[in-house]
Amino acid sequence: MTGAAETSEIAARVAEQVHLDVPWDLVGERTRRYEIHLQGTSVELERGPIDVEGYGLRLFRPRNGGVGIGFQASTDLSPEGFRAVLADAESATRHAEFPAKSIELPSGKPAPGGSEFLDRKLWEDPAEALRGYVHALVGGFRGKSGAAPTFGSVKAVLREQSMANSTGLRVAFNSTSVELELGVKAFGGPEGRPPGEFWVTRSERRLEPSRVPAEVEDWCRYAADVRRAVPPPSGELPVVLPPDVLSGILPNVLGFRFTGWARLRKLAPEGGTPLAAERVTIRDEGAYPWAPGSAPYDDEGSSAGTRLLIGQGKVGGLLYDSLYASAFSTTSTGNALRGRFGPMSALRFASRPNPSSTTLVLDPGDAGGLPELAEAAGDGVLVTQLGWAQPDPVSASFGGEIRIGYRIRSGKIAEPVRGGTVGGVVFAPPGTRSLLANVEALGSRVELSDALAAPPVLVRPLTVAGASS
Amino acid sequence: MTSVADHEGDLAQALDRLARGTKFAELFAESGAGQEVRLDSKSTTVTVEPRLRGFVFRAWTGSHWTEAAASEFAPRSIREAAERIEREASRTHGSAAPPGESATTRGSWTAKGKRSLRELGPEGTVALGKELLGYALGSPEIKEAQVALAWEETDRLYLNSAGARCLQQLERTRAVVVPMAIENGRAVADYWSQGGIGGLERAPDLGEATVRRTAASTRALLAAKAPPAGVTDVLLDPGVSGTFAHESFGHGTEADQFVRDRSYLKPILGQVVAPEFLTVVDDGTVPGGWGSGFCDDEGNPSHRTLLIDRGRFVGALHDRETAAILGAKPTGNTRRSNFMSRAFVRMTNTYVVPGDRTVDELIGDVKDGVLLERWMSGIEDPLGGQMQIKVRKGHRIEHGKVTDLVGPMALSGKVLDFLRAIRGVAQEPATEMEPGYCGKGHSDYLPVGSGGVHLLSRAIVGPA
Repeated sequence: MTGAAETSEIAARVAEQVHLDVPWDLVGERTRRYEIHLQGTSVELERGPIDVEGYGLRLFRPRNGGVGIGFQASTDLSPEGFRAVLADAESATRHAEFPAKSIELPSGKPAPGGSEFLDRKLWEDPAEALRGYVHALVGGFRGKSGAAPTFGSVKAVLREQSMANSTGLRVAFNSTSVELELGVKAFGGPEGRPPGEFWVTRSERRLEPSRVPAEVEDWCRYAADVRRAVPPPSGELPVVLPPDVLSGILPNVLGFRFTGWARLRKLAPEGGTPLAAERVTIRDEGAYPWAPGSAPYDDEGSSAGTRLLIGQGKVGGLLYDSLYASAFSTTSTGNALRGRFGPMSALRFASRPNPSSTTLVLDPGDAGGLPELAEAAGDGVLVTQLGWAQPDPVSASFGGEIRIGYRIRSGKIAEPVRGGTVGGVVFAPPGTRSLLANVEALGSRVELSDALAAPPVLVRPLTVAGASS
Repeated sequence: MTSVADHEGDLAQALDRLARGTKFAELFAESGAGQEVRLDSKSTTVTVEPRLRGFVFRAWTGSHWTEAAASEFAPRSIREAAERIEREASRTHGSAAPPGESATTRGSWTAKGKRSLRELGPEGTVALGKELLGYALGSPEIKEAQVALAWEETDRLYLNSAGARCLQQLERTRAVVVPMAIENGRAVADYWSQGGIGGLERAPDLGEATVRRTAASTRALLAAKAPPAGVTDVLLDPGVSGTFAHESFGHGTEADQFVRDRSYLKPILGQVVAPEFLTVVDDGTVPGGWGSGFCDDEGNPSHRTLLIDRGRFVGALHDRETAAILGAKPTGNTRRSNFMSRAFVRMTNTYVVPGDRTVDELIGDVKDGVLLERWMSGIEDPLGGQMQIKVRKGHRIEHGKVTDLVGPMALSGKVLDFLRAIRGVAQEPATEMEPGYCGKGHSDYLPVGSGGVHLLSRAIVGPA
């Protein structure tokens, strides 16, 4: 067991009711959610605890030379509820098909040490910890005459996750996660310009009120710069992308195309294929400290690991869960992830696992920070925030509107830009232009941003669409 | 699985108790069921929708709202949630009345499919899916495809201490086809999707011709050229035009943004913002619309709200609080993503009303531009008035003729500039609501419809 407190171990309790002659696995989850919503600097709404308990049962029956997989999830923990879940899952196995002769489920290897998945203070008194963070957040704007929050929310989830399966696996761990959303508005002044906004959204594992004052300074500066920004020029330009922008691009594509799922559909790149500049090395690290995707185990109970995806520009390995590993007679890399897009995305137990990335780590280079990368760029654009890069994982194309960025002129970061788009493809067949193939320089310092730990990178070129064609 | 109505007695009892200790209290409870069949060349997945259910109490403490929720309808869980609310209410010392009017709507409504996938059952749905998949994979150069057929049924119960009681049972059905073409390590995909409240009758084009046409358009994407980059004429297809309506005058008119002083539209309510041939509407009463319902999650009846009426910005979307602050009436737009999520002002079905030009006339008006097709996503900037719309593909338009196929694009621009530059809106058959999911920010996703007709304007576009 990992974590600060005793877990609810729902999976182990439900497992006592499972008497099946085929492989099966269970994930159990208890979440307690607390939220504070702000209107300006006032509390608009306090929510919580929002208690949800549930589990998902998956089972594998031989069918047509492969397996039929049944899955059902429920918040009804009663024996009657379990019988209904089992009936649903059994029903699904009779119609489902998957090309694996047999399924090898994890048997419970020890997880890596450390407990950098859980904010102890938040766990012990979530309502007070959240209020303390909000107090720091609001306090950060005190005395600022030209900037203020318009709205915001801080949401904390305390999760007790447990897993059990037919091989005897019984594991459980606790974790915390935090989501911050804040609209920071800059206004006033003699120039009569319309107000500007910088929109903060991020996911983390812990509350860090000590970081707030410096962050507020940055957010206010970006919001003020929005007011005087103009669209960039159009053209094929060198572009500097910091980790906050890359995290909206790389995981969506690599976490889909570099998997057993993609390999089965012939969408994954072949091992050894040169897809990126030689200076690019990317790993998947399942236990990267404090990353929102980190955990001691994946969502099937395999212990978290590290996997090389791109080594010095060439394709290394792919990511597997137990199911897709079984289809290729290999072993799970600890990359089974649950979670679904849409209204129920907060409930991991409510969806079956699929292979995906946890935290991608792009190795740093030696090009220094943003000023040095700008100097190397010469004449280009630094993109600080994109509207929504939303890459298409199939084609690997990405692009979006520049919410705030800066012109780079003569190697210096110059006036702010906003509007217009930047886009391209993340990777492409060898010899073709792409974001990864055209990485010209990597910054020296890695920063964690959501599901990516990376340095800022200089890409030469990307297509920028701006005010003049 | 038991319905929320089976637990109404316990929930109502707890609500009565809360009402005695607070100035106003309400309850939202839901339960759901459903099934999704997903097929590709390698696997068939049958997912029975999770048996999820839960409730949330909301009460006014005298200074702010407070909520507690649980996923278990047991009397103990209900009692504990109510007690949490009471504790929070006793911690605060405000004495203000709750903002706005409390709804008093009472009724029960059911929307079931005429051709329900539920009745087809998993076996019949898998058979239908395999037939459709066969059409896609039988097409030249289509190496992979996905077909998804899904239905879900949700019961949503709303009660409040002013006497409102709204029970809705809604069945939603959706069909999606995604062919993929792979050549020399390069992959491309197009898609087709239809759905709404009801059964398969909400996907009337589902069939061989549609799947083969989508497969052909996917194959063509392998030879697509790079889109232009810069300012150009843009002709939006009906789906993209619906996304424009949603992102521009949908999010910007959610009146909680007005209250937050976070909408560029607030100062220009009542002003002419577009040519008189542009009308934009949000309508939760569209029969079968993906975002339709009978009442909202504050108990107000669904409503048709004019946002832009013949070029003039005339209306916004309200909940009880924004309506009270801004001197308006609730518009039936308060929605919760689910019992775990808070209520916000949200869109339902947002669309551009047909105009008076033919599509050929609009194309003929373009000397050098691009036709944007097959929307993928959009995002708004309520304060700055910018919008981003992404599309899967498009065509160049040169000297009044549609020419080369081009790849994925993003459109960027200031909404008010875009509106002023509109040169025409097409007269086309009845607007079809395309199904999608919308977040408030990056969370709280819920079903919304959007639709429109071809619309000609000018904006920045670039590859995406």
